[in-house]
Amino acid sequence: MASEATTLRSEILKALHHPIVVADILRKRQVMKRELLKQTNLVPTRIAILGGSTTTEVKSMLELFLLAQGIAPTFYESGYNRYSEDVEFENPDLWNFKPNIVLIHTTWHNISEFPELLEADGAVENRVRREVARFTSLWEKIHTELGAVIIQNNFDLPRLRPLGNLEASESFGRVNFISSLNAEFAKYGRTHSRFLINDIHYLSGQVGQAEWFRSNYWYSFHMAVSPTATVALARNVAAIVKSAYGKSKKCLVLDLDNTLWGGVIGDDGMQNLILGRDHPVGEAYLDFQRYVKSLKRRGVILAVCSKNDAENAKEGFSHPDSVLKLEDFSAFKANWDPKPENIRAIAAQLNIGLDSIVFVDDNPVERDFVAEQLPEVAVPNVGADVSSFAEVLEHEHYFEVDKLVQDDLNRSAYYSSNAERSAGEGKFSDYGEFLASLEMTAEIGSFLPVYLERITQLINRTNQFNLTTRRYTSAEVVAIAQDPGFITLYGRLGDKFGDNGLVSVLIGQILDETVQLDLWLMSCRVLKREMEFAMFDALVEQCQARGIRKIVGIYIPSKKNSMVAAHYASLGFTAIAGASEGPELWCYNVPASYSPRTHYIRRTADGLVAAPSLADDESVPSRA
Amino acid sequence: MHTIPMNRDQFLLEMDEILDLPAGTLRGHEKLEELQNWDSTSLITFMAMAESNNGVSISPGQIVTCSTVADLLRLAHAESSSS
Repeated sequence: MASEATTLRSEILKALHHPIVVADILRKRQVMKRELLKQTNLVPTRIAILGGSTTTEVKSMLELFLLAQGIAPTFYESGYNRYSEDVEFENPDLWNFKPNIVLIHTTWHNISEFPELLEADGAVENRVRREVARFTSLWEKIHTELGAVIIQNNFDLPRLRPLGNLEASESFGRVNFISSLNAEFAKYGRTHSRFLINDIHYLSGQVGQAEWFRSNYWYSFHMAVSPTATVALARNVAAIVKSAYGKSKKCLVLDLDNTLWGGVIGDDGMQNLILGRDHPVGEAYLDFQRYVKSLKRRGVILAVCSKNDAENAKEGFSHPDSVLKLEDFSAFKANWDPKPENIRAIAAQLNIGLDSIVFVDDNPVERDFVAEQLPEVAVPNVGADVSSFAEVLEHEHYFEVDKLVQDDLNRSAYYSSNAERSAGEGKFSDYGEFLASLEMTAEIGSFLPVYLERITQLINRTNQFNLTTRRYTSAEVVAIAQDPGFITLYGRLGDKFGDNGLVSVLIGQILDETVQLDLWLMSCRVLKREMEFAMFDALVEQCQARGIRKIVGIYIPSKKNSMVAAHYASLGFTAIAGASEGPELWCYNVPASYSPRTHYIRRTADGLVAAPSLADDESVPSRA
Repeated sequence: MHTIPMNRDQFLLEMDEILDLPAGTLRGHEKLEELQNWDSTSLITFMAMAESNNGVSISPGQIVTCSTVADLLRLAHAESSSS
């Protein structure tokens, strides 16, 4: 039974989700913060807010929404409108703070020069270049000197339009000028991996211009965003930070009847389902299916959890207007078992944590039951009106990503082919025979620039097969990759069913003739495939090549990584005496002659000795 | 939709929350300058609450003329009844 404190916390967390009542959040923020701080396993982060306007409210709200995501921030705030000076003149307070993330909270008020009336196109373009250069110099200094991830507001629109609609059509119009600046900011973001846009241009439209900027708050406090709109802004920034820490969701589990189509397929039959352009509600279901399909295309895993006979349920996807097809789903549970049981089974089948799942169901009873039984699963209050389902999912930012990499787009295929692998497993009497039948190949090597995004993603996302659960920012990963004092390994695994992508990462710090394994993780989708043996083989080879005699493994127990408690023992490490409390230390003496542990994975590439040169990236700070 | 806190008790309970005090602490006679949590954040929250609940805009200049919690209540009342 839930304690009073747990119930209070869950009520508070509920208040921070759709439907949001801004006034309640403003009023109850202190008690909310206090309760959220009682959570355990919060991930610490240091955020510097460099403001072009007053940022007290931004900080207060951001703290609340980050705590709700399990992230505990400490803040540095620049003085009012000192965002530029703090960086240009290297404010020692900021430098000593060593931020992980710098949020540059600027708005249109901080644009230094707008075009003159009737100014020629070329002159306007020069102004755009000058303004962008002013910001670029800040960004480059932050990247080079502080090594932090930058979250930069793009520009909102001024509330007043002295030129009326000409503001948007003439090149010297302010709306047009701001569009050009935003396009240049976005271009910078596309070519710099540690630079993320906080899209306040969109947010101000979503909130509404009249609500976004309130002149009384501007003239009284120099707040460029009203307190109520700051809630939306903080939720958006928290979503970006969450994604940078790999806390975004991976899988959308969907009910069927009255969720993906109108009607009950078991009673009404496939031909009578409400779905398609011929019916107003059918069109709304069709649009929701399209939205779900777009999530699948960008890498969200789809699954079905429905109370139905399996054959009836599957028939629904043969409806001529169904955009979603059976093959879009990586897991399919249609039966009469309780939904929490089915969702647990889906998580087990896909090898993902329950906290990676979002469950959508039109039935409030089912939603409440799942939320109560599986508190780790996100269960948005989508209501019963399909026309709002997608909007609710959007508002919750469940699937926010800081970057899309090819592995994301292939994710559904990996999980679907995993189902084929599991089906094949039953055909073999011997597990080794099954592994041999997979015809596995692995590419294992030192970190390569092309993989750094994916490596950072895995580091910040993996919880179960993760020996230390240490998180690294992308800047830290880049610095480690070029530091000869570290051994880095990535591993990609392929088999006859397809490419599993980059699934394992290892970081070891060299201390004389010893390498200390600060990080070793692996995606759970390749568990029991001997990939950890293949990584260990590669590590030993690298140690031999570098004259390293001893490997020290670290195991830091967490709530989620008990599956690797015996990892080092299984590889032949011995526990170091005296390490009975806190992190466990394990030792392995590198032999002169070593027999590889893996029997079923063929290595296709190594590149194991020389660390790749990242010298072309001059913005990379050296690691202290 | 949130209701308008025209009732004195409701208003005081909301001010308790804004100032992070146990429910039922404030009676109205308390001097603002003696309330530990009466700062810019709570002032902004009070303005936002008055706006959100009553649909009226109160300026910091008006708030500066208030010396007690009851004055804030009168301000919110006056503004909402005159709007």
